[in-house]
Amino acid sequence: MELKVSPLTKIISLSGFLALGFLLVILSCALFHNYYPLLDVLIFLLAPLPNSLFGKGSLDGADFMSENAGDAQDLGHFLTGLFVTSGVALPTVFYHCRLIGLMSCVMCTTGGLVIYSSIVVFSWFFRSSWEQDDALFS
Amino acid sequence: MGVLKIKGPEIVVPSEGWLYYNSVQADRINKAIDDIMDTDQSRRLFSFPFKFPNSANVRKAAVYLSGILYALGFWLFLDAVIYSKHANGSSVHVTFVDWIPFICSTLGTLTVNSIEKNRLLQGAMSSDSGITSFGGDLDSTMAWQARSVLFFGLALLAGGLSGSVVVLIIKFLVKDFNTYPTVGMGVNNVLGNFSILLSCIVLWIAQNMEDEYSYSLTL
Repeated sequence: MELKVSPLTKIISLSGFLALGFLLVILSCALFHNYYPLLDVLIFLLAPLPNSLFGKGSLDGADFMSENAGDAQDLGHFLTGLFVTSGVALPTVFYHCRLIGLMSCVMCTTGGLVIYSSIVVFSWFFRSSWEQDDALFS
Repeated sequence: MGVLKIKGPEIVVPSEGWLYYNSVQADRINKAIDDIMDTDQSRRLFSFPFKFPNSANVRKAAVYLSGILYALGFWLFLDAVIYSKHANGSSVHVTFVDWIPFICSTLGTLTVNSIEKNRLLQGAMSSDSGITSFGGDLDSTMAWQARSVLFFGLALLAGGLSGSVVVLIIKFLVKDFNTYPTVGMGVNNVLGNFSILLSCIVLWIAQNMEDEYSYSLTL
């Protein structure tokens, strides 16, 4: 997979993607004068946190020595699944309880998923090139 | 598992005939080794035609699935609560009584999955087979404690599920709240607790899968 894209282009396009997600969520709040869906941003910003805290990189040496490493990773995966599902379920529940409209619900869910996927893709792009630190802007 | 194979033809030999004899012997020995390995691998308890998936990836997926199920249960219940507060047309409301099964299920999940699985296994080995090694008494005490805590957790889980059914029946069905938007609050409660129970089961299976995986790794 030698797709020759400059890392700077990646950063710019990903930040544009992230801004698009924020735009969608904030629009879903502001168009209907109802600021409940803003909680979705908080959940989707928290969602990548457990995997980055308990991920493989931070526990590399302790993988075979201690049995707690696997448990910590399990906790990370569990919390990730929990947060992502919560982020999708929150607008749906709000829509079902008639707190927000259908349009707002769809926009909020899409925006939240865009935010989460852009964060995940960002960490996925630059995981390999973090070792050589000047590869980012060469 | 690496098996030492005997290589015939690579040995430098004085004559052709000896080379032939040597390679035939090596083939024979290799075949015998293969036979032994075959019988060793086919000696299992259950004869499933497929390989049981116990790799690390399946385990990861199961843990994710468990998290998803727990969030689903949580939001199903929260849906009932928010619906009762904001969009309720009837006279019945969600009160603290509806929260009790959910709290029981969550505490049960927490209890069941925070037990160290090795304690259960260790105690079973040292107490059931009658081997009293050094510290065997301590092991069986630990196992007894682990088992009673496990029982407590499972009782909390089952109590949560049955409690939500009781709330559905006593609070909604007996008082003739049969139509859907109202009885939906009780049904959501039951579904949420069931989902949390399912999440606990999936997490338990995933963790036991890990134990088997690491067991075969150490052997």
